[in-house]
Amino acid sequence: MRGPYTDPSVYVAPSEAPPSRRPPITSVGPLGWLRANLFSSKINSAATILMGALVVWFLWGFLSWSVRSAQWGVIYHNLRLVTSGLYDRREIWRMELVAGILTLLSGLGLGVWGRVSRGVFIAVLVILLILVVVPVLAARVPEPTIYLLVEPQRAPSDFVFVGLRGQEASFAFDPLTDAQDTDERLLGFVENQSRTEWAIRAAEARAGDLDLGQYNLAVTLRLLDRQGKPLTPQAGSAPGDFAGGPAGGTLSYTLPADGWYVLEVRRDDSVNGAAGDNAGYAWIRVQGVETFASQEAAAQARAEQFGAPPAVERALFADENSYRFEGARSVAEFFSLQVAPLFSRIAMPCFVGALLFFNGWVIGVLGKREKAVRRAVLGGWILSAPAILIILRGFEGSRALPLVPTSVWGGLLLTILLTVVGIVASFPLGVALALGRRSELPAIKWTCTLFIETVRGVPLITILFMAKQIVPFFWSALSGLDLTIRMMIGVTLFSAVYLAENVRGGLQIIPHGQIEAARALGLNPPLTMTLIVLPQALRAVIPAIVGQFISLFKDTSLVAVVGLFELVGIVDRIVSGQTIYRPYQREAYIVIAVIYFVISYAMSDVSRRLEQSGAGSIRRL
Amino acid sequence: MAETNASEPIIRCHAVNKWFGNFHVLKDVDLDVMPQEVVVIIGPSGSGKSTFIRCINRLEEHQEGQIIVDGIELSHDVRNIAAIRSEIGMVFQQFNLFPHLTVLDNVALAPRYVRRQPRRTAEEIALQLLERVGIPEQARKYPGQLSGGQQQRVAIARALAMQPKIMLFDEPTSALDPEMIKEVLDVMKQLAQSGMTMLVVTHEMGFAREVADRIVLFDEGRIVEMGTPEHFFTNPQHERTKLFLSQIL
Ligand SMILES: Nc1ncnc2c1ncn2[C@@H]1O[C@H](COP(=O)(O)OP(=O)(O)OP(=O)(O)O)[C@@H](O)[C@H]1O
Ligand SMILES: [Mg+2]
Repeated sequence: MRGPYTDPSVYVAPSEAPPSRRPPITSVGPLGWLRANLFSSKINSAATILMGALVVWFLWGFLSWSVRSAQWGVIYHNLRLVTSGLYDRREIWRMELVAGILTLLSGLGLGVWGRVSRGVFIAVLVILLILVVVPVLAARVPEPTIYLLVEPQRAPSDFVFVGLRGQEASFAFDPLTDAQDTDERLLGFVENQSRTEWAIRAAEARAGDLDLGQYNLAVTLRLLDRQGKPLTPQAGSAPGDFAGGPAGGTLSYTLPADGWYVLEVRRDDSVNGAAGDNAGYAWIRVQGVETFASQEAAAQARAEQFGAPPAVERALFADENSYRFEGARSVAEFFSLQVAPLFSRIAMPCFVGALLFFNGWVIGVLGKREKAVRRAVLGGWILSAPAILIILRGFEGSRALPLVPTSVWGGLLLTILLTVVGIVASFPLGVALALGRRSELPAIKWTCTLFIETVRGVPLITILFMAKQIVPFFWSALSGLDLTIRMMIGVTLFSAVYLAENVRGGLQIIPHGQIEAARALGLNPPLTMTLIVLPQALRAVIPAIVGQFISLFKDTSLVAVVGLFELVGIVDRIVSGQTIYRPYQREAYIVIAVIYFVISYAMSDVSRRLEQSGAGSIRRL
Repeated sequence: MAETNASEPIIRCHAVNKWFGNFHVLKDVDLDVMPQEVVVIIGPSGSGKSTFIRCINRLEEHQEGQIIVDGIELSHDVRNIAAIRSEIGMVFQQFNLFPHLTVLDNVALAPRYVRRQPRRTAEEIALQLLERVGIPEQARKYPGQLSGGQQQRVAIARALAMQPKIMLFDEPTSALDPEMIKEVLDVMKQLAQSGMTMLVVTHEMGFAREVADRIVLFDEGRIVEMGTPEHFFTNPQHERTKLFLSQIL
């Protein structure tokens, strides 16, 4: 008998397939992934290394600035302004209530309609952990060293602090001694802080155009108690005052009781003779006192404990940013000075929010199969919109919910409100315009086309100005409407026409066979549209629509030009209106950028999920 | 609605004329179809077969002549059109399933929204129909996940879900690979045996020979020859018919 391979022109596979083997080690696992994706060719490797280096360089620069010298206090001192603008301080609980309602509903919605990936779940857990653990850890970081700067241009301020009995407070007077010292320690700090006036002088000094070089500053330091009486010299110990010249020195004192103290700083002109001669820069390094590290709450708690802080002419509190320098902070100090105060403010709301969200999610998942639960959640979402507006606005003359006019709404609240109203209102309007433009009735078709093209041809900012000024002029009914609502209308119209064009694109790609099939089944035109055409058309343009909504979200910042303070507007007001925050524009705008980015990214992520889910079934109730 | 009478034609077409612009597509078409009859329409491409059967459920409008379906004359009256469309099921060459709905929803959609059946009833009936066309296990899938033959069978089930008295098929197997054609034809045969009135445009001569009660040959918008399969395949009269059959067989 001939074997299967004897004839070279015929090949017959052996009857049993060979067993499957494992792939070679270089093509699977993390190593294989790296090889296949990042280092697949010489060019690819070079690109990977180059881009990696760029990213590392950028991150390193940003992180070291952020840890060592950035002052994030500009945001967390002003959290209320940033989140709600000039919304009445006493009514802020309504904002919290609304946020609570929304998180609960989001949780319910996610539970009922969404499929949560494990990744999201883990991310939420990690965030929770950070929120709880970081403040606890931060409490264990030792008190940081504070540096006060004494400048020739200003009368030195008095430093107000809380000391504890038996603790040794020490104040090291450390004048700058020569040009190099100034260059390294002062100019570096000045540039870090980006205070404009100083930064200019620093640049001049670097260039040799300006001599900062007078190095004979002499001061007297005096410790006062809360009533302003100097502390008496202790038996056998250091006195409560100190006179220091260019050589520097230290004032140490063991504090006699818990409570407020003042360190009085005076320029000592007697040392050098002529008053104008006594000039130069110096640091005063403060140790052994309680620093509040910018925590308003802590300062308030101390005020309750020890009475109001002593009144001095030019008070400098440990929690005030203006003339305090924390030195180049260590990582530990970064946490206790910058991170902890922020977390201490947001931990509680975040925790309650997470709890609500999680509860909602559990209820949602458990009740998914119950029609009643699904109905209730949907009803909740629908009802929430008017309810929220009523809660936030209140009524004229009501005692429980007094009126808070929309003109004072601001910050993130206003940004989100404009966005949500814009989305919710422009979606149906946009779809209607798109259908109208394809209508078979010429009157409707032409009206819609004219409207779309007109609004599309005008910049948003013009529309906003029109909504503010021109329209009410022609149409007196509108002049009674308040500005915020007029802006909502402007934003909505603008968004709707772009949406209409996107939707029209989607409608065009639906094959005619779909409509014929629906007709042949006996579906009437409205049913054909809502059940067959629109679901497919909208799904096809989800990315474009979400892109549209994201730009709507970002464009709301334009309402600042007509005098409403949404997120960007209010932050601009903080950094340009309050002197002590002026040096910290960098920090402020970085935080804004992060907020915008996080929300925009969340929106595009939701859109990606929507595209992938199912084959786009309209979810049933 | 008139009671279906077994001796009365369920579809009557009398002197039907239709133009696309200046182009005369249908020329004086006369055709009566009896209840439970299976009529197969054949003819060269562009001869107006699709246009004709699409006139019967008014996906196209004829300009002259009369079409009476189950005692209702097709006119501009919207209520008439709605009534007639729910009497007639249609299966397309390109399936035209709704890609955003599951197979089950595709089938249950029209009964739920046109007949206003409760969802549960509609889905039960849909499942029975899917069983009848042989694919109950695909109910939860989306059309894109099925083979062509399976999709066409879903399309048949979808048309049947409205419990039509008449089924129109426009080249139901032309877009299918050869091995899938049989499964669709089998479903159609079974449907014919159950007594459904069917109008089928097809090039499947085997099906025509086996199932058709009558074969109609279209050419240039008119009926050229009409008769039983036996007549057609053994004794065609018209020159055009002979030519057509010689090309196709
Ligand atoms: N909407 C339309 N507008 C203009 N002409 C059309 C239209 N639909 C079809 N026609 C023309 O009418 C004629 C008949 O078309 P029909 O689709 O009925 O042919 P058919 O017999 O079904 O052909 P096939 O076997 O290729 O499907 C063709 O010449 C076609 O070009
Ligand atoms: Mg055709």
